Amino acid sequence: MSPVEMFSFIGRGAGITLQLLAGGLFIGFSLGTVLAVWRYRGSGRWFVVAYVSIIRGTPLLLQLSLIYFTLPIVLKIRLSTIAAGAIALGINSAAYMAEILRSGIESLSRGQFEAAKTLGISPFYAWKDIILPQVLRNIFPALTGEVIALLKETALISVIGGADIMRRAQMVTAESFTYFTPLCMAGACYYILVLSIEISAKRLGKKMRHDCY
Amino acid sequence: MIVIKKVSKSFGNYMALNEIDLEIATGDTVGLAGPSGSGKSTLLRCIQGLEVPDSGVISCSGRPGFMFQDFQLFPHMTVWENILYAPTTRKFLPQSLLEIKASELLLHLGVEQFKDRYPAGLSGGQKQRVALARTLIFNPDILLCDEPTSGLDVATTRDVAVLLKSIQRQKTTVIIASHDLDFLMQISHRIILLKNGGIASDIEPQKLANPIEYLKKLYE
Repeated sequence: MSPVEMFSFIGRGAGITLQLLAGGLFIGFSLGTVLAVWRYRGSGRWFVVAYVSIIRGTPLLLQLSLIYFTLPIVLKIRLSTIAAGAIALGINSAAYMAEILRSGIESLSRGQFEAAKTLGISPFYAWKDIILPQVLRNIFPALTGEVIALLKETALISVIGGADIMRRAQMVTAESFTYFTPLCMAGACYYILVLSIEISAKRLGKKMRHDCY
Repeated sequence: MIVIKKVSKSFGNYMALNEIDLEIATGDTVGLAGPSGSGKSTLLRCIQGLEVPDSGVISCSGRPGFMFQDFQLFPHMTVWENILYAPTTRKFLPQSLLEIKASELLLHLGVEQFKDRYPAGLSGGQKQRVALARTLIFNPDILLCDEPTSGLDVATTRDVAVLLKSIQRQKTTVIIASHDLDFLMQISHRIILLKNGGIASDIEPQKLANPIEYLKKLYE
């Protein structure tokens, strides 16, 4: 296999990596938002505290294995490696996102909540259009960091057989009996993706700041 | 008419309001004066419903509107959106009427040219006017203003007094909490001095020869 063929073969795993990232991000952000709002205002916030503590206190690999190997038995369903990976990444990321969002909510002036209340804005609209848009602006850099961390964690899918960048690099190493080149190429693929996220986030962050001034 | 009966409110060991009894007639403009921590803002917040009194009853005939000390405009919305967002989601009036009303308010308050700006691009006085427009769009029967002149220069403070006087003419009950006795003297029918959570004095400034001196003595 020539280096070009090798890079092309490994790079094609980016499709799976990005699918996992998108799925994990969607689940993680949605669930994380619900958890953060729940913790801030709802009763039963002990559940959120326990969820965050347990998820952050156990390895992602263990969570992924539990979901991939036991969920199909418990629910009597078939789970593809991508679905299992996206669910595990989402559940894991939700705990971190909930904490990031919580810090953003707590940093917001209490007056913003009170202003919404005195104007008679319902809690749903207050959270959707007043609180969360401001919180997202404030936590945007931390959120970008979490997206990048999530992207790198997608590599764990290789353990359960998902043909992502990492898995494809391992397949090349097994075939060519060489580690250095395929692993460096996998690293380059991840680095290109991380740089793309960083550049996009910088542009988006600038636009968000510009929109308010 | 606002009736406050034996209202008390404490935060931990600190007694912010101690059995306050007060009646405010419809259309009156009442100034709440007093040193920091005397309970002015807490009383306003109790009337608005932002704080729940530990004991006592507050009854208001009419809708209150609240102006925050630091305006609390929504920073990610333009002036126009700040004014229209709440009445639109509440379906307070048909949208076309709301927009006409918002335009009239902005024109009346002299900030019409800033309607597409974000709050970060406004001066303190302009923010104050936008916050006032955002409150007035609901035609409140009672306007509660918490330190409306804090951080404003002399000229802008004078403008705020003129604006509040124009609201008085619409028979709106106005209650203003402020440190600024001169400002309160310009616009209030009645000034209530709060001290240590209680009412230290309740005067009608027009009836006293030198009300500022009188209040300043009580301040000490």
